[in-house]
Amino acid sequence: MKLLVTGATGFLGRHVVVEALRRGHHVRAMVRPDTSEDALPWRPTAGLTFVRADLRSPRGLREAVRGVDAVLHLAAAKTGDFYTQFRGTVNATENLLNAMADESIRRLVQVSSFSVYDYEKLRCGSTLTEDSQLIDIYADRDAYAITKLLQEQLAREFAEEHGGLVTILRPGVIYGRGNSWTARLGVQWGHRWIRIGANAPLPLIYVEHCAEAVVLAAEKPASIGQTINLVDDDQPTQRRYMRALAAHAPERPTIIPINWSCMRLLARLAILTNNLLFGGRARLPGILIPARLHARCKPLRYDNQRMKSLLAIQPRYDLQTALARCFTTPESVVTPLADGHTVDKEVQDACASPI
Amino acid sequence: MSATLTTAVIGTGAISQEHLDFLSRERVSHIVGVCDLSRASARYAASRFPDARAFTNHHEMLDTLRPDVVHVLTPPQTHAAICRDCLEAGAHVFVEKPVALTYEDFQKLWTTAERYDRRLIEDHNYRFNTPVQTLEQLVAEGQLGEIREVEVRMALALHRGNRYNDPHLSHPSHQLPAGVIHEFLPHLAYLALRFLPRVDRVVAAWRNESGNPAFQYDDLDALVFSSNIHARLRFSCHTQPDCFTVTLRGTEGWAQADLFHPCVQTSWTREAGPFSPLLNQMLGGAVLLSAGVANLRRKILQETPYEGMHRLLRMTYECLHRGEEPPITFDDMDRTSRLIDSLLDEANRL
Repeated sequence: MKLLVTGATGFLGRHVVVEALRRGHHVRAMVRPDTSEDALPWRPTAGLTFVRADLRSPRGLREAVRGVDAVLHLAAAKTGDFYTQFRGTVNATENLLNAMADESIRRLVQVSSFSVYDYEKLRCGSTLTEDSQLIDIYADRDAYAITKLLQEQLAREFAEEHGGLVTILRPGVIYGRGNSWTARLGVQWGHRWIRIGANAPLPLIYVEHCAEAVVLAAEKPASIGQTINLVDDDQPTQRRYMRALAAHAPERPTIIPINWSCMRLLARLAILTNNLLFGGRARLPGILIPARLHARCKPLRYDNQRMKSLLAIQPRYDLQTALARCFTTPESVVTPLADGHTVDKEVQDACASPI
Repeated sequence: MSATLTTAVIGTGAISQEHLDFLSRERVSHIVGVCDLSRASARYAASRFPDARAFTNHHEMLDTLRPDVVHVLTPPQTHAAICRDCLEAGAHVFVEKPVALTYEDFQKLWTTAERYDRRLIEDHNYRFNTPVQTLEQLVAEGQLGEIREVEVRMALALHRGNRYNDPHLSHPSHQLPAGVIHEFLPHLAYLALRFLPRVDRVVAAWRNESGNPAFQYDDLDALVFSSNIHARLRFSCHTQPDCFTVTLRGTEGWAQADLFHPCVQTSWTREAGPFSPLLNQMLGGAVLLSAGVANLRRKILQETPYEGMHRLLRMTYECLHRGEEPPITFDDMDRTSRLIDSLLDEANRL
C-alpha cells in the first residue's frame, strides 16, 4: 500500500514509518516545511519519500495526499493554549480531510486518544471499553482532550459525508525510549515522584506495538468503521511501573505516595473552595480538578479484546523486555522482522535509527 | 439592557475568545451567527450560543441573518473589504484594530458607514483599561500640571517560539505594511493621541535588529511632536521583560500606567515640600506592594488585560441600543489612522 503518515517525525510517527516500511509498504512521510533533512529520524531508504507541508494550512495538502491508498493521521498539537491546540489538531485535521475529499482518498486511520473518555462517569474498578461514555466539548478537561474529541468528530463526519473508510484508534499511554513517564502515575518534581494511587492498572502500550497496530489497521478491512482501544496485555499497577522506572532512573527518586481516595477528596475540597471564595474562576492545577484527576489516576480496568480480534495483533514484547528496550542504547536494539516479510538492509538501517 | 440587537461574529482566531466571552456573559445582544473559513472553527464557536448558526462565507451569513451588529475579527488585511460588506448589508461594525491598512482605506470605509447610516467602531480597548482611565483622571484633575511628555512603550519577545515566529507557518501579520509591529501599532498610536492635542511632526526609526526575514521590522522608536508636548512611541522585541506602559510627565509630576500588570505609579510635588521625594518613594512602594497582591489575585482568577475591551464593548452596545454615538468616535479613528500613516511614511523615517 501507499501510505501517507502525518505527524511522521513525532514519537509514535517515526515508529509507524519504520513499521510500515518493515511490512513492505511505500511510505510518504509528511514533515513540516522548515524541518532540516539532518533532523529527520530516518536514513534515506527505498520506499520512503517525504512531503513537506503544514496541516494548519491547506497549501500543498492535495498534492500530499494524491495517489495514496490510505492516510495514517497521527499529527496533533499536544502543547500550547487552547487556540494553538485547536489549530494544530482540529483545523489541521479539517484541512487534511478536505484535501482527501478533493482527491477522492477515502481510507483514513485516525489516531485519537484515551483522553476522550469521561472518566468521572466510570465507577472505580470498572472496565473502560470503546463503548464507554465520551466527554462533551465543554467538559472541564484540558485542551488536548477537547481537541482530540473534536478531531474524532471530524473523522466520523468524513465517513458520513464523503464515504470515508475510517478507523479510529485510541491508544492508551504510549511509552518507549525517552517517553516512559506518564501523568497517570502522578507528578514528577525533580527527583521526587509523587505517586497518586498505587493499585490502578495503567493502560500502557509500547510504542512499537502501537505502531504495528496503526499499520495493521490500515491493512485490515475489518477495522473500517471501527473504534479500537490500543492497550497491551500487560497492564502494570502504578506501584509496579513506578518501581520499574525508578530502577532505571539515573538518580534514585524519592517516591511520595498519596492515596487515591485522599487525593480525590482533596480535589473536591479545592473545587469547593474555589467556588466559595473565587466564584469558580481560580486557576487550579490539573490534579486538583476532579474531571482531570479522574482521567489521570482513577483505578480502572482496560479491555483490548477488539484490538486483538480486529487487528490480530500479537505484542512482541512483555513489559520487562519493552522497558529494557527503552533504556538500552539505540544501536544495541534491532527490531526483529515480522514473519513472512523480507526487508533489505536499507530498511534495516532506517529501522535502527529511531528505536 | 434589553437584548434586541442581533450580533454576528466573523473570524474565530485567538482574539475572538474575548469577544465571545463578553457576548456570552453580558447578554447585550442575541448572537445569531459565527463565520470562519474553517467550518470546524465556526461550528465550535457557534456551539456556545443556543441560536447561533455557523457559516464559512460571510456574504451568505449577512444575506441570511441580516445581523444588527457584526464583530470583524479576521486578519487586518481583510478588514476593509469585510467591513464594507457588513456596512452595506446594514450592520453596525465593531472591528479589531487596525480598522484598515491605510488612511485612505479608512476614509472610504467611513464614507460607506455614513452612506448606510451605520456605526463603524475600531477596537481601542486599552484606552478603557482602569490604569489608562486613572491617567486620564489625573490629567483632568491637573495633578500632573501641564503634560509635556508622553511615552507609550511595548516590549514583546515575538522572536521566541510563538505564533508570530513559527518557522513552518507564516503569520498573517508578516504581510502587513509594518510587519508584526503593525498589529500593535494602533495601541501605541491611540494611547499617545489621548494626551496629544494635535500632531505637528513625526520622526520614526524602523529597524530589524535580528535580521529575521519573516519580520519586516522588530523595533520602532518614534517621536511625535505636538506644540509643547512630544510623545515617544516605542516597540521592542528585544528588551525584556514583556511590558506595556504609558508614562506621562507634566510640569507638576509624572505618572506611569502598567497595562499588563495593572498599576499606576505617581510622583508629584506634595505639600511636604522638601520631603516630597521621600514621601513619593514611600507611597510608591506601598502602591507597588498592593498592586503585586492584586495582580497575584488576578493571575489566580485568570483575569486578562482585556478588561478594557469588555468595558468598551459594554459601552458600545449601550450606545447602539440608545442610538447614540459610540465611545470610539470618528475623530479617534481618524487621528489614529493618520498617525499610523505618518509613522510609515518614507518622508518621516530616520
